[in-house]
Amino acid sequence: MSARNVEGGTPVRTAPRREITPGAALPLLGFLLLAALFPFLPLGSRAEFLLQIAFFTLVAGIMALSWDILARSGQVSLAHAAFYGLGAYGYALLLKAGLPWLLAMPVAALLAGGVSLILGAVTMRLSGMYFAIATLAFTEVVRTIIQNLPESVAGGATGLLVPALLGGNSRAQYFLAWGLLAFTVLVSLAVRLTRLHFAFAAIRQGEETARVLGVSIVRFKLLAFFISSSLAALAGVLYAGKTFFINPLETFSLANSIAPLTTSIFGGLYTTLGPVLGAGVLRVAEELLHNSVKNGYLVVYGLVLMLSILWLPRGLMGLRRGRKHGGDL
Amino acid sequence: MDLFVQTLVNGLLQSGLYALVASGLALAVGVVGIVNFAHGEYLMIGAFLAWAGSAFLGVDPLLSLPVIAVAVFAIGALTYRVSIRHVLLAPELNQMLLTFGLGILLQNLALMLLGGNTRTVTTPYQASSMQLGDLSVGGPKALAFGLAALLLGALYVVLYRTTLGRQMRAVAQNRRGAQLIGINVDRVYLIAFGVSCALAAVAGVLVSVLLFASPTVGLVFALKAFAIIVMAGLGNLTGVLWASVLLGVSEALVQTYVPGGGGWSDAVFFLMIFGTLVLRSYRGAR
Repeated sequence: MSARNVEGGTPVRTAPRREITPGAALPLLGFLLLAALFPFLPLGSRAEFLLQIAFFTLVAGIMALSWDILARSGQVSLAHAAFYGLGAYGYALLLKAGLPWLLAMPVAALLAGGVSLILGAVTMRLSGMYFAIATLAFTEVVRTIIQNLPESVAGGATGLLVPALLGGNSRAQYFLAWGLLAFTVLVSLAVRLTRLHFAFAAIRQGEETARVLGVSIVRFKLLAFFISSSLAALAGVLYAGKTFFINPLETFSLANSIAPLTTSIFGGLYTTLGPVLGAGVLRVAEELLHNSVKNGYLVVYGLVLMLSILWLPRGLMGLRRGRKHGGDL
Repeated sequence: MDLFVQTLVNGLLQSGLYALVASGLALAVGVVGIVNFAHGEYLMIGAFLAWAGSAFLGVDPLLSLPVIAVAVFAIGALTYRVSIRHVLLAPELNQMLLTFGLGILLQNLALMLLGGNTRTVTTPYQASSMQLGDLSVGGPKALAFGLAALLLGALYVVLYRTTLGRQMRAVAQNRRGAQLIGINVDRVYLIAFGVSCALAAVAGVLVSVLLFASPTVGLVFALKAFAIIVMAGLGNLTGVLWASVLLGVSEALVQTYVPGGGGWSDAVFFLMIFGTLVLRSYRGAR
């Protein structure tokens, strides 16, 4: 495959590179601030329900943004559900082993990150559809293994009970999720504003060229995998602690890999604001549709994915006219 | 020993179905250059059409098969016109995600309209079986294998003995070159994509008789088809046959000889895809 295929059918346009001004971070800050104020709004009798939706919107934001970080290095993965699930299961099992939750959370994330290094190393040379199918197969292998382990170990096909996060205080849970999303945003900005950005972009746009330029492909691809998967695992921890019951079929469901991918593309690939914004819009739309469209809300994801690819290839971020490639966060 | 031979025969019969699905996918990948992640969904459509024909109109799936094939050819051609055609020159990522979105859309549309239940088609020959010495072969299975062999034979004749087939192979080799010598590439793409979908639908009709129709039935077959074309090497139709036999037989062996085979056979299969992909990448196939 030629290098051009990876990034664009047409040669990359050399837009004048814009400096990133501090103002570019304003929409992002606004969004986070708005999210932080949400629990203090007069929500009325449905407060508990709305807070739960908002919680899962934040989780979706973490998932989408972490997926995007991996995609920036040219690796379009369908294994995000695997790390989400590994986070959830790792957390549950570590709690069962007697670790305090504050310790179990980062350890579960690091464990998932460690597993991702194995996957990343094995799939290092795959690209495009081969990479996508290999990561999909990996997810299924992980799910099957957990499902077939003895029930005393990981609950088998039935699932595991998980103690509620923060004693079940939904407002506290919400702020924990908010904090983790803010952390993810910080990590994403760090990737965007340091040399990592150039290394990832170079690898994505043409591996051979990047190698010639002296970019260590192995190191940066694995780093992208590690960062992305650890963050996805944190999202998994939040999920496990909120629903206090996890089973292999739902936790490792393909939907958990599809949603972050669709969200990022709909919001705007390779940006920080895009996936977060996409998560907000899509989750709200999903909840609004939930009443009219019963079990097939994924229909919307499929449709959004198709329409974005056909008409909005740069996502919501592409709608903001007058901003050329370089200046977006 | 008998068990072993029986297992081999079962695997071989199963591989006919796999070859049918995989050759359709190989056509889409090889000729159109599109990795169709929605391939299994056309199989699902075929299975449901067969079920609907049998449940509402009382038509035997094998009789409705030609009609279904033509109908799904039309659906595939329509899909090509409204979506695939617009991303032919787009980055591979966009093509992949477009068909992926299409797959999610079709699968969940079916889930929404028909529910997640499996629907079975009852036919008078469903329980029939043939005895060949010590071996017993299920009637529908043998029938499916025969039909698959027939269709694959026809596909080969079309590809290697007709003008259309020659055009398809020309386009597969070099799109621009084919265009320069006056081949209507767009038309060839449309037909190839339609035939690809129709082959999946025929397999779907057989699946509805052998197993059942359900919204998610396609995914498994699509994944197996991916495994097969990866093993065969892109665009290698003869390789598809061998790879199908290999997959069918090894699956049957796992199911028979690995204790608790039901649960683990999936993992074995996915490990196989994984292994194949990784091995190929290290042998530098790309």
